[in-house]
This record gives sequence, C-alpha cells and structure tokens, in this order.
Amino acid sequence: MAKPGKGTITVTINGSAAMGSEGMTLLELARQSGIEIPTLCHHEELSAIGSCRICVVEVEGARTLVASCHTPIAPGMVIQTHSEKVLAARRMITELLLASHPDSCLVCDKANRCQLRHVATDLEAAQPQVRGRKRCYPIEDVSPYIKRDLSKCVLCRRCVAACREMAGQNVLHMAYRGFNSKVVVDTDRPLDKEVCRDCDICVNVCPTGALSLVEESGSKKKGKPLFIKG
Amino acid sequence: MNMTAKIREIGKQGRGREELLAVLREARESYGCLTPEVIVELAAGLDLPVGEVYGVATFYSFLSTRPKGRNNIRICKSIPCFLKDSQIIIDTVAEAIDIQPGETTADNRFSFELTNCIGACDKAPAMMVNHRVYGGLTPAEIARILAEHK
Repeated sequence: MAKPGKGTITVTINGSAAMGSEGMTLLELARQSGIEIPTLCHHEELSAIGSCRICVVEVEGARTLVASCHTPIAPGMVIQTHSEKVLAARRMITELLLASHPDSCLVCDKANRCQLRHVATDLEAAQPQVRGRKRCYPIEDVSPYIKRDLSKCVLCRRCVAACREMAGQNVLHMAYRGFNSKVVVDTDRPLDKEVCRDCDICVNVCPTGALSLVEESGSKKKGKPLFIKG
Repeated sequence: MNMTAKIREIGKQGRGREELLAVLREARESYGCLTPEVIVELAAGLDLPVGEVYGVATFYSFLSTRPKGRNNIRICKSIPCFLKDSQIIIDTVAEAIDIQPGETTADNRFSFELTNCIGACDKAPAMMVNHRVYGGLTPAEIARILAEHK
C-alpha cells in the first residue's frame, strides 16, 4: 500500500482502510484493493458514462446509492460495495435490463462473451419480475462490416463514447427520449460504409450482442462456459 | 442578417453547441418542422455532427421533426393529471377532432399529442394549445376551447 503523502486519500471500503490518490474513482480504488464491482457501461479507456448503474455502492451519509464508476473518492468516505441493499439494487437493475432484452440468448452470437449475461449470472438475477414492453428494431445489416441489432442494445452509450473518443469519428449519437431512446447514425439512417469506416471499435466495446461483425454464424468461439454459482 | 448567415457565424465562432437549442427553436418556427434536410443543413452551418443535432431535436417534443397542423394540442399524460382523470379529457378531444394522439387532422387544423408534465399540476388536468395552457379542464369545456383555434 502506498505511503500517505500529499494528495493521498484514505477511505474505508467494506470495513478496511484503503488509500488512493486524489481524483480516483470509487471503482478504481475498489479494483485496486481487489474488490470486484460489476460494470456494464464503464470502460477503462473511455470517459465515465454512468448510465447503467450496475456499479452502485453505498456511501455512508449519501442520500442515495452512488455509481462508483464516476464518483471520486473523498477523505473519510465509508463505502460498502456488497451490502444487502447494494446487491438488491444491482439485481433489480439487471432484472429490469433483462425485462426489455430479447429472449434470444440461446442463439445469440455474443453467447458467453456477453457482459450482460456475465453480470446477470454473477448477481444471480432471477427471471424478471417486471413484465414490460420490449424494444423491437429490425436488424440492420446494410454495412458489409457491421451488423446492428438494436433490440439487444442496453443503451450503455459505450459505442457512442468509443466512436467519439477512440475512433475520433462522431458517427454514433443518442436520439429520441425515454423508452424510445436509441443509438442513431446521422438522422437515424442505417449504418453503411458511406458514414462508417469499419474500424470495429464500437463492436469491441459493445457489452451485448447489439453490435457485431458481419460473419458467418458460429464461425467464432463463444467464450468459456458459464459456471453458475450456487 | 438572415438565418443562414447567422448560423454560419455561430459555427465559425465555435459556439455551435451552446447555441444549438436556440437555433433549433428558431428553425422550428420558420420551417414549421425540423426535417432531416433542415437538420443536415443546420449541422453543417453550426459545425456539429449531424447525429448530435438530430439527437437534441428528437429529444425535445417542442422541437417537432414531423410536420404539424396549424394548432398543436398537447395533453399532459403525467401522474397528477392522470389522477385528475386526464384520460376523459384525452378521449373527449380525440372524439371532438376525430383523431388519435400523434395524428394531425386532414384539414391540417389540429395536431394532437400527449406530453409529459407541462408544469401545470396545480391546474390538473391540463393541456396546451399552441403556447397557451388550459387547466382544470372538464369535458364540457373542450368544444369551446377548440372553437377558439381556427
């Protein structure tokens, strides 16, 4: 552990003291201390988004649970990363995401590489208790490189941030509002090779099967088998 | 200074993002609705990505991206109005002008849509016709209010 010096902040995570430098987020400090907090929209190489709320933690004195991926550490914070309340909230968020997610996991090409699936398995999320509308969009396969299946999109905005920050292209944006929110290209036109130079960056950051390369189904390994806890 | 020149000036100064809402509002007033063509043109002038302009335009229901009728009826669908039986008002208006929310009458006189809270919860159930708010509505008043708008 680093020696206390200028700019060092000491906080309490799950009952034990941890030291981090100024400007660090709760998530970074937790990971540095060997505590795993699940995330969906967070990506180490992108600026914080904070849309999925899977990474919420309990901070003593805070009115609500806070998203650890964009909350900076402050001196004297007392943080619980896996309390009952936190786990219940994460589970509910996952179940809500699953409630509007298509039930095509068995045949989805993302298979066990899907982060939503990882998070759901890890949290032992149950069958959604909520029955809601599902967002249904036709599969977009106009581009010879990238296939978009926006029904599987969890609106984490990673692709939007990656397109802007990593690719420097600004092709993808959010549009509409509420239930109708959607990642769009220009004025909601199909992603084709005119607007997108197939850099694959958005495909690689997508946590679900919403973005994929155009390739023959079953031509890629689907990741390690998932071991269900319990 | 005409609008195109003004927009180009804003774009040149790199203030596109700050001025975006004001420009969209002005464009909506002068073009009637923000069609994809208008949005592409505004984005080029303001030096912003098309997707960003489209995202903002589609987020706000007052910045319509579809053609609207001469008078725009918006009935609040939020909870306070709902508890004050806004559904009866919605049904009455729908029957009076014979269209459903989201549609425009054939004579282009009325567009009808449901909106989120318009800040008139104290006068629930409330609706807006163009920029005027009508509160404390009862089905009996609807015909008179609609007659005010030709």
